[in-house]
Amino acid sequence: MAGICRTRLAEERKQWRKEHPFGFYARPVKATDGSLDLLQWEVGIPGKASTPWEGGVYKLTMTFPEDYPSKPPKCKFTPPLFHPNIYPSGTVCLSILDEEKGWKPAITFKQILLGIQDLLNDPNVNDPAQSDAYTMFKNDKLQYERRVRQQARENFPK
Amino acid sequence: MGKRSRTLSTTSDIDNNHHPRKRSAHSPVNLPTPTSTKQMSDDAMSDYYSDEEMEYNYSDADQDVDDVENEEEEDYAQFTPALPAKKALAWDVEYDSVEPDQLREIVTKDVDHVAGIFGVEPEIARALLRHYKWNKERLIEQYMDSPERVLASAGLPIQLGTFYPSTSRTPAKAKPTPRSKTFSCPICASTQPIDMAMALPCGHTFCSECWEMYLVSKIKDEGECDVRCMEEGCAMRIPTAWVTKLLDKSTFERYQELLLAAYVADNKNIRFCPFPSCDLAVITPNFSPTASALSTTVPTVHCGHNHTFCFGCGEQQDHRPLICAVVKMWLRKCADDSETANWIKSNTKECPKCVSTIEKNGGCNHMTCKKCKHEFCWVCMGPWTEHGTAWYNCNRYDEKAGVDARDAQSRSRASLERYLHYYNRFANHEQSARLDRELYAKTEKKMEEMQIASELTWIEVQFAKRAVDELVRCRTTLKWTYAMAFYLEKNNETIMFEDNQRDLERAVEELSELLESPIEPATISELRSKMTNLTVYVQKRNEIMLNDTAQKYQDSAWIWNVSVPEF
Repeated sequence: MAGICRTRLAEERKQWRKEHPFGFYARPVKATDGSLDLLQWEVGIPGKASTPWEGGVYKLTMTFPEDYPSKPPKCKFTPPLFHPNIYPSGTVCLSILDEEKGWKPAITFKQILLGIQDLLNDPNVNDPAQSDAYTMFKNDKLQYERRVRQQARENFPK
Repeated sequence: MGKRSRTLSTTSDIDNNHHPRKRSAHSPVNLPTPTSTKQMSDDAMSDYYSDEEMEYNYSDADQDVDDVENEEEEDYAQFTPALPAKKALAWDVEYDSVEPDQLREIVTKDVDHVAGIFGVEPEIARALLRHYKWNKERLIEQYMDSPERVLASAGLPIQLGTFYPSTSRTPAKAKPTPRSKTFSCPICASTQPIDMAMALPCGHTFCSECWEMYLVSKIKDEGECDVRCMEEGCAMRIPTAWVTKLLDKSTFERYQELLLAAYVADNKNIRFCPFPSCDLAVITPNFSPTASALSTTVPTVHCGHNHTFCFGCGEQQDHRPLICAVVKMWLRKCADDSETANWIKSNTKECPKCVSTIEKNGGCNHMTCKKCKHEFCWVCMGPWTEHGTAWYNCNRYDEKAGVDARDAQSRSRASLERYLHYYNRFANHEQSARLDRELYAKTEKKMEEMQIASELTWIEVQFAKRAVDELVRCRTTLKWTYAMAFYLEKNNETIMFEDNQRDLERAVEELSELLESPIEPATISELRSKMTNLTVYVQKRNEIMLNDTAQKYQDSAWIWNVSVPEF
């Protein structure tokens, strides 16, 4: 299975380099010896236009397990993001990233990244992962949006 | 009256289709109304049944009623001059122990029934039933309404004619590469010969190795028997035929186990025996372990390997007369270290400065914290500098803060003592039961020798075994009565309860003592009659204890001193 994992990631990388959605970036981490570690990726997800998330590019690390694509990768925002479905650790709570729920081996990381982009401005209130953002989202939408815009400014790409 | 209709409706709530195998050792309750009413809602149905059944009982109350209506014995006495000789205890539930194969037969029967009605393959019927959590009535109703919708929601192809053609390895819609002799599997990103491609009726095509890897990981790692297509968001089910074809024997066996476990999990009337490595299950055709049923009864059952367990909570012993919810509370209380905390609370104080826990084991009230060297008074907890030389008495003792602290401490100590009183007796009976068994194991040998030496037959030296069995049963009851007493509000009922408990306990200890007396050929016949008599007596006391508590559960006469969560 370890074989599949790297072959598959190499193929996904090829496809990604050929074509990927606008504003995104994704590259495998360089190991100390200069070789690429296909199991660790650095990713940037742009906020969608005409949403309070616009302008920010949010940094994420994706860690693929050896039994990928049987098991989903772990996606973690660094630094953690203010968002109802993102754990205080930064880990993303999304059904397609849960092997017991929506994860399917046919899902590519491109689909995951697009899924996370959708999640940014469309949080799932039934599955809160952090209390700060969740409570504010529920009680004070205006303040929530202000906070999100502020966060977008902080994540403006240099 | 109200009570009776409640009891009866519990019995009649159960849908009677799933479990055709009824046990006849206890007389089964014959429902007078046939199953044609099962499309009615539960409430409507139970009302309907209870009215019907009440009438039925009045007109025809000479049989079939002993099982459920023990609580109403007097009432029935006027209708039934001759009650059956052996009355079941009020606790008894009807049950039957089944082997895995028998269970599979039951499943197959259900599947075939539905397959017959819908005119579909058993495979489809099985998937539908699983999707509907084996609620046959709801499935049939909704399927009759719109088979397409039901099939789609269950992840099955809508055109049944084309069902799972891909058991042969021809993909329904493989994306052919230019030469069309090979195809590229999107999962493993490798190019493979076209005959490695497999697709469900949804058309999503992957190579057979990836399907296999996926199935193995779902079944072995996740213990999931409901496996869907690998494509994102596609709910198409993978048929058993694929599992058989792609997987090795051990994974397939695991799959079979999971299927059975899913069936049992979906059925409230079936439970696997909780004993390690026991694969039997118990079916209670007329009893559903609902929260309300479990608040008045303890459904103790025995599997075919004679393991005793509670059908309600799976506890591996007969925990009558205490109901599941309170048993759980008690066991948790005994297991967690809340009592350690209690001890710390009653025996120690914290240094007012550095909050280290300190146990005072003697000496005067002038305390010097070992850690931070803070000097304070043990009694009022104030700094020692204010005390002068009054080392053995604190002149601030009667001030409010000091009094409150003392009260809190003694309350905590009293509650600890109360708990220990009940816990020690609970643990004592548990241990004594074990010792009684050990003692018997030693005696047994002697009995055998005696049987050879004397005129006695095998059957005549069995009295000690019967005594021990009864003893262990009674000690189990006693054990739980102590846990129960801990949670009972003190009132007249509990006084009677404790009287019964005392009588049973006294008889039990007497029998236990008798068991220890030396067995000599000269005195064996005397011993035998003594022990037999006492065994019968103890058994009676146990029955009284259990029946009395059961009765009071029915009458809602027990008042707990804590709030009991719903089980």
